[in-house]
Amino acid sequence: MTRLTGGLIDRNAPLNFTFNGKTYKGFQGDTLASALLANGVQLMGRSFKYHRPRGVFAAGSEEPNAMVELRTGARQEPNTRATVTELFDGLIARSQNHVGPLERDFLAVNDLLSPFFAAGFYYKTFMWPKAFWEKLYEPMIRKAAGLGSLSMLPDPDDYDKGFLHCDLLVVGGGAAGLAAALTAGRAGAEVVLADEDFALGGRLTMESDLLDEAAATDWIASAKAELESLPNVRLMTRTTVFGVYDHGIYGAVERVSDHLAVPGDKVRQTLWRITAKRAVLAAGATERHMPFADNDRPGVMLAGAMRAYANRWAASPVKQDSDAIAIFTNGDDGHRTAMDLIAKGANVLGVIDARDAAPRFGDYEVFAGSTVTGTKGRLGLTSIEITRNGQSQWHNVGALGVAGGWNPNVHLASHHRGRPVWDDSLLAFVPGPNGPAGLIPAGAAAGKGGTEEALSDGMRAAITALSEIGVTASEIALPKAENMPSEQVAFWHVPGTKRATKKRAWVDFQNDVTVKDIALAHKENMTPVEHLKRWTTLGMATDQGKTSNISALAVMAELTGKSIPETGTTIFRPPYTGVSLGVLGGGDTGPLFRPRRLTPTHAWAEAQGAEFVEVGPWMRAQYFPRAGEATWRETVDREVLAVRSGVGLCDVTTLGKVDVQGADAGEFLNRMYSNMMGTLKVGMVRYGLMLREDGHAYDDGTCARMAEDHYVVTTTTANAGLVYRQMEFAHQCLWPELDVQLISTTDAWAQIAVAGPKSRELLTRIVDEFDLSNEAFPFMACSELTICNGLRARLFRISFSGELAYEIAVPARYGHALMQRLMEQGADLNATPYGTEALAVLRIEKGHAAGAELNGQTTAQMLGLGKMVSAKKDSIGAVMSRREGLAAEKRRLVGFKSVEPQKQAMAGSHLFTEGAVQDMSTDQGWLTSSCYSPHLKGYIALGFLENGDTRMGEIIVAANPVEGQTVKLEVVSAHFVDPEGGRLRA
Amino acid sequence: MLDHVTDLTPITALGAASPRTESFGALTISENAGLGLASLALRKGQSAPQPFGLPLPCVGKAVSMGAYAAFWTGRDQWMIEATGKAEVDFAAMLKSEAPECSVTEQTDGFTAFEIASSQGAAPIEALMRKLVNIDPKAFGPGQATRTGLEHMTVFLIRRADDRLAVIGMRTLAGSLWHALAVAARRLED
Repeated sequence: MTRLTGGLIDRNAPLNFTFNGKTYKGFQGDTLASALLANGVQLMGRSFKYHRPRGVFAAGSEEPNAMVELRTGARQEPNTRATVTELFDGLIARSQNHVGPLERDFLAVNDLLSPFFAAGFYYKTFMWPKAFWEKLYEPMIRKAAGLGSLSMLPDPDDYDKGFLHCDLLVVGGGAAGLAAALTAGRAGAEVVLADEDFALGGRLTMESDLLDEAAATDWIASAKAELESLPNVRLMTRTTVFGVYDHGIYGAVERVSDHLAVPGDKVRQTLWRITAKRAVLAAGATERHMPFADNDRPGVMLAGAMRAYANRWAASPVKQDSDAIAIFTNGDDGHRTAMDLIAKGANVLGVIDARDAAPRFGDYEVFAGSTVTGTKGRLGLTSIEITRNGQSQWHNVGALGVAGGWNPNVHLASHHRGRPVWDDSLLAFVPGPNGPAGLIPAGAAAGKGGTEEALSDGMRAAITALSEIGVTASEIALPKAENMPSEQVAFWHVPGTKRATKKRAWVDFQNDVTVKDIALAHKENMTPVEHLKRWTTLGMATDQGKTSNISALAVMAELTGKSIPETGTTIFRPPYTGVSLGVLGGGDTGPLFRPRRLTPTHAWAEAQGAEFVEVGPWMRAQYFPRAGEATWRETVDREVLAVRSGVGLCDVTTLGKVDVQGADAGEFLNRMYSNMMGTLKVGMVRYGLMLREDGHAYDDGTCARMAEDHYVVTTTTANAGLVYRQMEFAHQCLWPELDVQLISTTDAWAQIAVAGPKSRELLTRIVDEFDLSNEAFPFMACSELTICNGLRARLFRISFSGELAYEIAVPARYGHALMQRLMEQGADLNATPYGTEALAVLRIEKGHAAGAELNGQTTAQMLGLGKMVSAKKDSIGAVMSRREGLAAEKRRLVGFKSVEPQKQAMAGSHLFTEGAVQDMSTDQGWLTSSCYSPHLKGYIALGFLENGDTRMGEIIVAANPVEGQTVKLEVVSAHFVDPEGGRLRA
Repeated sequence: MLDHVTDLTPITALGAASPRTESFGALTISENAGLGLASLALRKGQSAPQPFGLPLPCVGKAVSMGAYAAFWTGRDQWMIEATGKAEVDFAAMLKSEAPECSVTEQTDGFTAFEIASSQGAAPIEALMRKLVNIDPKAFGPGQATRTGLEHMTVFLIRRADDRLAVIGMRTLAGSLWHALAVAARRLED
């Protein structure tokens, strides 16, 4: 154990956890990383490429090394950072990316082969032979790549989403963030404060600085209590603001129950969309390191992280208490770590300071003008080489802290392509002036990392932000704080590792990118940062180079002889840290994945044992199997024949219905539909064809004129929304001068098709004194009426099946009862419910076009409806339908019968002249719909065939090369049933 | 003839004989199966009538008087609500109040779920934060809007601090209830 005194852990709340199967103890308040360190575990994983042993490097979300697999079974989660994993009782963690035990990883052989794995190796190494790439190289690389493994099981957890609106979003709950939130909260503004940590306070929880001459935690506690008491402030810990989007929208993930063993009734995570009038970016800063030879051993970590583990988590970075700790720094900040460690009783060897005039702040040895030039220790650091003026000496240490300066967390500020700008006095990039509108950086994120300046800068940012939206905020009394010494020099890496020596100095630990790799990229002219990143993979993967990007730039700047800002900077895209796809997908899964529209007779159909089919969002009855029917075809054949011989019932509520009213309703529909609608008599229905602006067929439907100034328009099921939208667009934008009012009534009316020669007889039994005779109510008539003793209804004598048929509409709540009533009243007529399959067979037999024919590529002429495009008036698409390209189109909708009646040609098959070579040049058209016709006792089809209308009786071939199928077809009229239409008018 | 006596028995949007009500902590969600709805749109050049004495509200607003209420749905368009008039021809009633206007029956075009809080505005606002991208603080009593909810289009009406109506498409009633109930249940924790 290497647990120190103090810290913000609850020693009364011990927790057991396992790492690689071994049980350890930690405390409430620990992270997995702090608990492992406190148990003397330095080795936590293997590196990506070379499988080098790696230990924890940082103390926050920037961690590149300590990636673990958490949990087991379906909840197993790879690539989880141990540094931000809250410890809970029973936590199970495993290291990843090794074959065999962590200590003896078989794939560590890669490290010996490292000369072959230099930057860009896979762009060069696997070039020959070319054929090997797909079969051998790529699968091999894919197998070796990646860190953790997936469970391959469905995610068992629930995810949620939500929306927040506020005056001020404060990103980060450290000194600057808390000051900003207090300032805005007291001013009465609506405030959201989000912090990725489970505790508020940011670096204040990790430093030994005093606030108002007391522990900083006292002030944090009082600030937290005050913010919690303010109804206008929402405090959100465990919440990462991961991206800035347009119009002041911020994406955030709240980890609701990741700190619990299982979520129980809770959701696992919530995706918040936060709309903020202004935001303060108080995201702090990330420390950088200084590459030196063999700097990747477990035990080498950021000095600020070392300080954080000591102060907040009372964890020492060494395996045993007696092991010495050294600090390597280029400025004053490293000395703070030494001071804090000494205060905790740790064995500090001293501070290796690159500056010749290195200061001393306490009772410890200072190696001035010195650098670390080498390390030893197979699975953990055992010694370091300190070099001054060419003189080297080895020292035994168990851990080394590296302090290379702090980089403001500019990530969110660069999400709208805001370029960070170089601050020479800070030796860092700070957010530039062209970041996301309304986002104001503050505190360490703005380069003001001293405690006193962070507090006052947070307050200032809040006052500025609120003043921009007209809210006056006053200065608040901030706690007394100091800015600690922060002098530093521009020292970026220890020289001597660029060239062909065996020494390697890691810049990006997660991607195993070394100083030598950057030198190679430079040599190969990959000097722009964008090329550098892609050539070396620097800055990629889960940490996105938070600890490496600037160091890499500095090395490249040195190689090119340019300054760092001249060399460039990388900007950042969302997300700031990894976001699970589960939370982005959010919400429901399986049958609840998306909303489902149910027809008014859904429950009734379910009770009849109907099979359902998804039609867009609708669930429609597909067919109604009966006992003894072995196949769906048997059922569908029965339903079709029942319609042709008796009467069938089908819920057609899904057809779009638009109520069109107004003095100009007729003129409006004249312009929407290609054929005349304004001349339609009241009480009659007309089939209508609608064209797209480009002249192709868009939708078909019916217009029923209920009164001079009132039409009810029906559309296809698929296009209901599109047609309504198109009509609204035309009404609002094209012809606002017309007196037209539109509203959808699709859901309002349950509509049932009553089709078949006995349909009139059945309807006679339910209408209230309404004359259904052919004379009084002919084909294409419509009327309002009452049925079943006074229920208002609408009746349309229209037919999709080709039989005598009606559609009857009642208020939707009565649809269920109407269907029951029709079935009861029609029992002696063999009234039969039919589904979408029978509906399709009936309309193919009749030659009616549907979605397969109106697929966006067909014209009125092709459909045989060319004459419907009226020349007496203008309508949408009419002019374009006459353009040369469309007018010359010769394919026509015709019917096809299989020469061998029991052989089906599949829809989608292409049509060829018998005996012709089958390729694009000889293609004659395609089949759109195909089915078995129980009426004709053989397979039939519809399709578009070149000059099809003049080729009746010809035998052609339908080819389906995907399935190697060819079927001989006879070209026939598309009207297989009652071509004269006598049945319709009976 | 506004009222009728049919021998067909209606079902609710959720497919049952009687409306559904369920409580989740402070929130109770009730299917308002008795709500009559009809749309009213002005014809060219008309000025707004006052059907049933209702002063028709402006953009984003709702008004109510006794059994009748109205909310704005678009330029020169409103939805008129009538408590307990779902099974009569409410559109005809409205048409007789505003004979020059375009009136369309909408009762069964929608399903109305009334959400009531027993603990003031906070639970209603918390529920809104989980369901709709609307700022609850800017959506006080008398406000109405149309917005997206779980990929569905809905009307929201803040009937009071502690009451919110969600009016969605009738054929989506089951999915809408599911969305509301899941969100309300999660707020119970």
